[in-house]
Amino acid sequence: MRHPPEDGTPPTFSRRAFLKGASAAAVTGTVPGALPTAPSGPTSYAPGSHAITLSVNGGERRLEVEPRTTLLDALRDRLDLTGAKKICDRGACGGCTVELDGIAVNSCMVLAIDAVGMKVTTIEGLAPGEALHPLQEEFVHCDALQCGFCTPGFVMAAHACLNKHKNPDRATIQHELSGNLCRCGTYGRVFEAVERAAGRKG
Amino acid sequence: MNPRREEHEITVGFAGNAKKIKVKVDDRDLRPWDLETKFQTVGTDQARADGVAKVTGRARYAYDINLPGLLHGLIVRAPIAKGTLKALDLEAAKAMPGVKAVLATKQPGARIRFAGDDVAAIAAETLDAARDAAEKVRMEFTAEPHVTDVLEAPGAPKLDQDGEVTAPWPERGAERIETAIQAARHVRSATYRCEVQTHSSLETHGLTARWYGDRLTVWASTQATFGTRAGLAGTLRIPAENITVHTEFMGGGFGSKFQPGIEGVLACRLAKAADAPVKLMLSRHEEHTCAGNRPGAIIQIRAGVNDDGKITAFDYRCWGEPGFTGQGGGTRAPSDYFRDTARRDTQDNVATDMDAGRAMRAPGWPQGFFATELMLDELAAAIGMDPLEFRLKNDRNEVRLAEWRQGAEAFRWAERRNKTPGQPRAGGDPRWLHGCGLSSAAWGGMGGPGARVTCRIHADARVEVRNGAQDLGTGLKTVLQMLAAEELGIPVAMVTPFVGDTRDPVGPASGGSVTTPTMAPAVRHAAALARRELAARVAAKLGVDAAKVACAGGQVTVEGGQTLSFVDACKLLGSDTVEVVGERFPNHQGYANSVAGCQFAEVRVDRHTGLVQVLDMLAVQDCGTVVARKQAESQTLGAMIQGVSYALHEQRIVDHLTGRMVNGDFLYYKLTGPLDMPAMRAILFPVANGHTNVGAAGIGEPVAVAPAAAIANAVFNAIGVPVRHLPLTPDKILKALARARRV
Ligand code: FES
Ligand code: FES
Repeated sequence: MRHPPEDGTPPTFSRRAFLKGASAAAVTGTVPGALPTAPSGPTSYAPGSHAITLSVNGGERRLEVEPRTTLLDALRDRLDLTGAKKICDRGACGGCTVELDGIAVNSCMVLAIDAVGMKVTTIEGLAPGEALHPLQEEFVHCDALQCGFCTPGFVMAAHACLNKHKNPDRATIQHELSGNLCRCGTYGRVFEAVERAAGRKG
Repeated sequence: MNPRREEHEITVGFAGNAKKIKVKVDDRDLRPWDLETKFQTVGTDQARADGVAKVTGRARYAYDINLPGLLHGLIVRAPIAKGTLKALDLEAAKAMPGVKAVLATKQPGARIRFAGDDVAAIAAETLDAARDAAEKVRMEFTAEPHVTDVLEAPGAPKLDQDGEVTAPWPERGAERIETAIQAARHVRSATYRCEVQTHSSLETHGLTARWYGDRLTVWASTQATFGTRAGLAGTLRIPAENITVHTEFMGGGFGSKFQPGIEGVLACRLAKAADAPVKLMLSRHEEHTCAGNRPGAIIQIRAGVNDDGKITAFDYRCWGEPGFTGQGGGTRAPSDYFRDTARRDTQDNVATDMDAGRAMRAPGWPQGFFATELMLDELAAAIGMDPLEFRLKNDRNEVRLAEWRQGAEAFRWAERRNKTPGQPRAGGDPRWLHGCGLSSAAWGGMGGPGARVTCRIHADARVEVRNGAQDLGTGLKTVLQMLAAEELGIPVAMVTPFVGDTRDPVGPASGGSVTTPTMAPAVRHAAALARRELAARVAAKLGVDAAKVACAGGQVTVEGGQTLSFVDACKLLGSDTVEVVGERFPNHQGYANSVAGCQFAEVRVDRHTGLVQVLDMLAVQDCGTVVARKQAESQTLGAMIQGVSYALHEQRIVDHLTGRMVNGDFLYYKLTGPLDMPAMRAILFPVANGHTNVGAAGIGEPVAVAPAAAIANAVFNAIGVPVRHLPLTPDKILKALARARRV
């Protein structure tokens, strides 16, 4: 559910149109259509700090953000969920990938206030406690990582890929991960890891 | 005092080419592993020691450090490429909400050396607040005419309309090379170019700094924890022992992160001024424009060859493009082809008003190998010889000669090469031209002395190994873990490696592919000392003569008595801990002082659009003793992928009017991505080199030397004309195809 501004200041200008555009662009290159329909609620926030509640990894988290605060900054700086990385801050690398209602988005391109009312899943929430998700196990098994900075983004994008496709072939995997960059050069082993995880699911 | 040495006979070389040599080893050190050593753990596939931390997002990089009261810093930078700072007013910025510290880094009158030179720094409660304040910084400059186009800079060679250098060859050292050129049956001359590549590490430069009185702790994204500590101590003028540097994880450096840098120093200064911890990491744009790059190069080569394929003359000159410093743009041609060839090497630098070049993964080598290997294929074509045969004829490196043969067979070179360059495959889609190319790879990287490793054995049979240097993602932690496990004869899971904390023993900067070859012998030595110490403790507990107790192969054996498992032996430690420090002794004279490799690539070229796609690549690479196989393969594949990117995509594009890089982001600075991925294979070629007790060699750099050259040669084979300018973008391919049609 969406929280209205709590300081009572009147809305100054609408960012809704801007947000819609930004959010659509934020969807990792591969999702047809757009984000899940945004919940209804007030259409504008005044500048300055607002208290919102985000549903993150199954828990409700209350935090203060400005309207301009990205979901990525909110997760990293306010909630100390630093698995998602700010690598390009422009929707070009996938390092900040999280899921909104099960769909991969670049969280640097989503405003925190726009994620209110949606289920946010980050790399930290993929598997409970000490357990690993099969994808995470396969990433380790295939050594599909080097410095590891891009890895949380790849795991999340791969997870969203497996949400969409039961048994993706190599081309589908490449396509679904095409919004993610790795400078160390782990792509081939990432594809293998995703294939193996898909095989286990199947 | 000379250390006492013991002579050992060891078997070095590689399968099919084994040699016995004698090495003199410090008598505190261990007999080197050699071709006959049977390993339990070394060379096997093991999960990366920090894999789980990385796939769960729990790994904390410098970028991820959150501390109570943490402030966010940024640097305000000059928009002009050359001139002086005329006026600077920071008052309005200081008055902005949330701002806690503002510092000038230059005073009026200071020189501006490139667009992006630092002027001021700000720390605020959020990065957004710091950005708001940055907009209030008032700077005035006196701009001067700048030169950012290397071809227009003083000292640059003139090029003709085909891109060929027109200047005469230099006089210096001309006699021998001129004679050889005159005498050669065939002579070719050509000019090659490489554009500037940025390191593009995904974690940007910077650090998080916290002061406790006069003590400083930083979490740095660095390739040199100890170098960062020394750099901060010198710049901040505080004792090095007051500084602790943490780098447990780091997100890529590729040669650009050896110093704290202006960003690191400013983070510390802002933290001091604000009396609060500060995180200052560069933005993506700054990372491209202000944090170094691989210099561009203009390389001219003329070479002579005889009918039988022997290269008799090789004249190489290079104008490097290292930015405003005007230093460090040198490039390097392969040497194994020219051991008995008349040869000259001339290097110049051309300064421009751009960010300074820095070391990048085999600095200068990919440029030099690209130019030379393409010239080699041009020479081979001129005399009608297959490029592989041409290499076999001229290469004097016996390791690589074996690798060429293995690689050619694995790649099916003879079969796959395009026999009719410029023509589509018979019966295939005429739109696509296919071709195959190859290149040699080389590097040094045997490491050296100076590192130490702590090894502790606890009563619960947990073993810890510690060193203060950093693991860039190469798998150093896994290497330390596996080597300790091998020496102690226990499962790797019982060993925990710790790196990246300057309170632990000293280790090298990770440059020149020296980290593993430097660290590996020290950890093996540490584990051996720990093994002996454990035996001594067991002897004392059991009340037997220490000389009668030995620890090896995961067991402690009392001569003529009982045998204890490692776990049971450790239990006898009670509340004690075994703690020893292993040394890294100097290298002995072993087998081969460099590593050799070769690579093969297949491409297809779209005649309609000029697009080049790499379809398949193979590397055969020597890295001495392969310790952590999976991680060594990962690093090899990674260097190949980075090489595809350098060959096809990456270039800094500069608007010469403003003197600024216009593609300083990941939208327009193209890196190879998942959709560009060819099939790829890495074959590690085991060589026992006997230089140290382990004989590991670095693999980060040698592999990065060859891909662009192999791909450029494959394009030559596909379209029938060489494209001598990296990256091989569609515009250049279309131009070459048009030229090929004309001739
Ligand atoms: S940081 Fe969000 S896509 Fe790059
Ligand atoms: S593992 Fe380093 S960027 Fe992907």
